[in-house]
Amino acid sequence: MRNIYLIARREFLSYVATWGFWLSLLSVPMFMALGFGMPILIESSQPTRYYVLVDETGGTLEQAVYDQIDATRAEQAERMREVTQDMLGDNPQVQAALESSMQLSDDDYIRVSPPETSLDALRPYLTGQAELETQDGPQGLFAAIYLSEPSPGQIEIDYWSANLTDSGLRAQIRNALRDHMQLEHLVEAGVDPVLIEQADDLAPTVRELNPQRSAETAEVSENERLPIFVGVATAFGLWVVIFSVVNMLLTAMIEEKGNKVLEMMLASARHHEILVGKLLGVAAVSFTLLLFWGGLASTGGFAAQQFMAAADIPAAEIMGTLFSPALIGPAIGYFIIGYLMYGAIFLAVGSLCETIQDAQSLMSPIMLIMMVPLFLVMMAIDAPDNPIVAVASWVPLWTPFIMLVRLPQDIGLFEVIGTTLGMIAMATAVIWGAGQLFRMGALNQANQDTVKGWFKIGKKKSIG
Amino acid sequence: MRETILSLDRVSKTYGGKPAVRNVSLNVERGQITGFLGPNGAGKTTSLRMSLGILQPDSGTVSLFGGPPRAQALDRVGFLPEERGIYRKMKVIDVIVFFARLKGVAPGTARQRGLQMLEEFGLADVAQSKVKELSKGMAQKVQIISTLIHEPEFIILDEPFSGLDPVNQSALEQVVRKQAEAGRTILFSTHVMEHAERLCDKIVLIAKGQKVFDGSVSEALARVPRRVTLETASDRSLGEVLAGLGRLDRELTKDGTIWTVDLAPDADAQDVLKACVEADVKLTRFEPVRAHLHDAFVHLVGQDEAEPEAESV
Repeated sequence: MRNIYLIARREFLSYVATWGFWLSLLSVPMFMALGFGMPILIESSQPTRYYVLVDETGGTLEQAVYDQIDATRAEQAERMREVTQDMLGDNPQVQAALESSMQLSDDDYIRVSPPETSLDALRPYLTGQAELETQDGPQGLFAAIYLSEPSPGQIEIDYWSANLTDSGLRAQIRNALRDHMQLEHLVEAGVDPVLIEQADDLAPTVRELNPQRSAETAEVSENERLPIFVGVATAFGLWVVIFSVVNMLLTAMIEEKGNKVLEMMLASARHHEILVGKLLGVAAVSFTLLLFWGGLASTGGFAAQQFMAAADIPAAEIMGTLFSPALIGPAIGYFIIGYLMYGAIFLAVGSLCETIQDAQSLMSPIMLIMMVPLFLVMMAIDAPDNPIVAVASWVPLWTPFIMLVRLPQDIGLFEVIGTTLGMIAMATAVIWGAGQLFRMGALNQANQDTVKGWFKIGKKKSIG
Repeated sequence: MRETILSLDRVSKTYGGKPAVRNVSLNVERGQITGFLGPNGAGKTTSLRMSLGILQPDSGTVSLFGGPPRAQALDRVGFLPEERGIYRKMKVIDVIVFFARLKGVAPGTARQRGLQMLEEFGLADVAQSKVKELSKGMAQKVQIISTLIHEPEFIILDEPFSGLDPVNQSALEQVVRKQAEAGRTILFSTHVMEHAERLCDKIVLIAKGQKVFDGSVSEALARVPRRVTLETASDRSLGEVLAGLGRLDRELTKDGTIWTVDLAPDADAQDVLKACVEADVKLTRFEPVRAHLHDAFVHLVGQDEAEPEAESV
């Protein structure tokens, strides 16, 4: 135990001293910040678009456009309200926040009064040769829209803009007039407008029910989907952590072999002590990463909780669902076993290699194996009962990732126990095998060619 | 009778069907310096690895401190492997403390002892430097300190002189002698015979995985025919003069004749000199040739086996 502790401690301190560790530590919050921040940044950095709308019919179409835009917005807000109400309950503060955010998005396109209505007069503003006075100072014109009705029921939109890619405004106007035309068509056919509005509001009430439960508790709420997302997040977390430490683990192992330290170590500790010590050292590195990332997430969660408490949202209930022991317990177990399996493999590979190039040829198939569960996890979100996902969860190297997603989805106990036993058996075999390879690699009795030779022998046999 | 520290009893080891060590037996006794000699690839490193339990023999038994080479026994052993290195990114003193702690030395003692040994080795100034900043010779000294830091009873050095310049080889010889004087048992492998000849109480010679000699240096030297070189100004034959004293070889030079006499078992150099004087042979050179371990090595192992690998300093 003394040697394992000392080796683990040394490994931990040596990893923490590397740039790779600090990059890994900061990568997750950095990517999360980018993930959340970039859309907001793009949204906020997008310049306000000023446009001119010229209704050549005298104002009928203009009025219809804005009525329809207002109606569409109201409908979108209502849908959002329904979703949040289902998830978070009826809460006036949340609704107010939603409406405020909807209001903000209206400012993307601002209509201005045209100094002239003819296209020739507006062309310099559209091409950047002249600027209009706006609330933000002198600005170019994003678009000039001419609405006309050459014949009854035939509406034309001439959309002039030097920007060919931003189609938001064009779609908004087109959709509004399409709705207006459809409405007019029905009214002309004698349909009562009130009836049309009522028909528009018609929608079935959907109740989602789980047949595995009694009638009283069968109804499924949005809250119940949260553990699935926690499972997905945990599976990705496990994947990211393993992926993050791979390079550190390999580089350090290869460096150690290149420096010929391993035999000095073998004179003081047994090979299994070195292997376990290194695994624990890297586990401590992973734990530190998770602790840091978890700390950040908790800080964010605490802030969210404060907000939710202020808004009278049942925060405790949501947190209880997210961090239920029924999910967290197995998640920790899968995490540990998954880590041990992959960690042992990487250490064994490192011990066989003299250079990073040597390692790459051996790591490629392992990385491919690691990529598969990433796709299967995505598949398992929508279809946990998909036969491919179900079968893949029995592959021990993929079990930790896929089962983390399948676990909250009421799968059978047999599958949970069976896949877990398979995974434990595989982990034991992998650690034992890695120990043997590590010993051979450490004493230069095996290298990457030895591993390649095994597969060549297999090929020859299968051909013969 | 001395206590046996290490005993190999008919151990064999095969790699991929190729025998590396075959039925090798040897004993290392407390307080002795034992040289484990043989050409490269003779099986020395494999034997030493088996001695420490790093490798398991295919057959035969290994006994270290009277029992199997278990992990606990390693705390009493200092091993400097042939393939040696230390953590390049660590500080010198931290590396030494780390290896000392692996051997069960308390952190404070390890640090104190490490600094003291660095001082003795003339490396006090680099205690806080990173290993990668050291010269090769300095790094090798740090490796030796790391091997000896826990004051082991039994020191195993695998090719300790390889890669060292003559000054450092001499310094290492001093270290070995000092450790032996402190009562430690030392086993070192080498293919440089001069070191073994100067240091060892006992030598074990191994070739092609098999032991070919086990005994003292003088016993090894006794296996080599003793030799006398004579030079005369004339071309007079000495065959009759030296009859019965040994086998003669003759070489004519522009200044005279050089005679090499491989002495018979019951003859010595004085007999040759006496015979020459009595026969009024005018000698321009009389040189009893002292046998070296290298000669014994060549004699025991065979010229073909010894020449490509054996080297002198």
